[in-house]
Amino acid sequence: MSDRNRQLNLAEALRALPLQSPDRSAWPELAARLSRESELENRESKRSERIRRFVIPAALAAALAGVFLVAYRHHDSRFPISGSSTATISAPAASSNTNSAKVDNVHNSASHLEQLVALQQRSQALESWLRKTGGTAAPLQGQDLAAATEIENLIGLVDVELSAPREMPDADLWQRRVALLEDLSALRYSNYQLAAGGRVATASLTD
Amino acid sequence: MFFACDHSCARCILSVVTASSFQIDIPQALLARACAGDLGAFEQIYRRFERPVYTLAVRLLGDAEGARDVLHDAMLKVFQRINTFRGESPFWGWLRQIALNEALMRLRQHDRAESSDEMDAVVDEGSGPWGHADAGTLERALARLPAQTRSVLWLYHVEGYSHPEIADLVGKSVSFSKSQVARGTQRLREIIDSPAGPVSCLIAIAN
Repeated sequence: MSDRNRQLNLAEALRALPLQSPDRSAWPELAARLSRESELENRESKRSERIRRFVIPAALAAALAGVFLVAYRHHDSRFPISGSSTATISAPAASSNTNSAKVDNVHNSASHLEQLVALQQRSQALESWLRKTGGTAAPLQGQDLAAATEIENLIGLVDVELSAPREMPDADLWQRRVALLEDLSALRYSNYQLAAGGRVATASLTD
Repeated sequence: MFFACDHSCARCILSVVTASSFQIDIPQALLARACAGDLGAFEQIYRRFERPVYTLAVRLLGDAEGARDVLHDAMLKVFQRINTFRGESPFWGWLRQIALNEALMRLRQHDRAESSDEMDAVVDEGSGPWGHADAGTLERALARLPAQTRSVLWLYHVEGYSHPEIADLVGKSVSFSKSQVARGTQRLREIIDSPAGPVSCLIAIAN
């Protein structure tokens, strides 16, 4: 018998051996692993989509807000503050409306949402009052002017943080914004009373 | 696919008779579903190739637990990379290559310090005892061979790889592959022919 034939015989004998099976299937582990990977892939894909659709525009908006803030501060150092303070506040007022819409989409917690909405309404009311009184109040001077400028700068910083992308609107930031606006309102209120010649201010702080 | 050519060359004849258990046709629609991440399609492919992959791994490693790990890891790689399959060769060949690489990698990790010295391929013109040995006897004899010798023998006789291909796969010379086939064949003959039957393998001890 030739060597090739001998080899074929051995090959045939080996190939005739029955196929073997594992004592337990590897499929359940594989299926679990593949499902996990598929889930992660989907999550990653959604995250990328969210980044593409929301985070990148939001980051650009935040950058623009930062540029605006720097430009404003530069402008503020050269010109008197009266008349410009309301402009500083009116921009966040618009963003607060936008954020309010986002809150409605993102949040499920009713109480948290209520708290946020209350803070945003309070913030808008204070801004509205400051705008109304801005034209009639006596110009701030000395320590009051420095304090008002400082408060406005702090409000600007809070607004930059508020415009940063996040999963849930930050109630603490809104709380801080309201507190700063209240401080600013308190400063303006005394000057508003002086300018009104002692008459009781008619504008409500809470409307 | 392997078919006998018109001129009936020895290689073609060998290819026909050494049809691998991996040679399973997978419908194009099933592949398309798997490429799309369909878990059901993955399972169908797994079920079809579970035994060929496991058998190859058992023959190469001689270890049931290690073979199951190879089955798991190889199939995982197949499913993770299925989108890279171009369809230029049969799917089963692509899958077998992944399984083989996985098994060989594990074999190298658990290198049992076998002798890799080469010997001249001994041409034995006599017919082998495997023609009349039952499957159990042949399996036990095979299990007694050193892993490397058994691997080369299996790849050559059952999976139909050529000596240069085996040399490439195991990172040795062509003459090494030839000598392992000759040595393995001779040892199988001795083990099966021995009066006590396939109880021990002296190759590893002798080396």
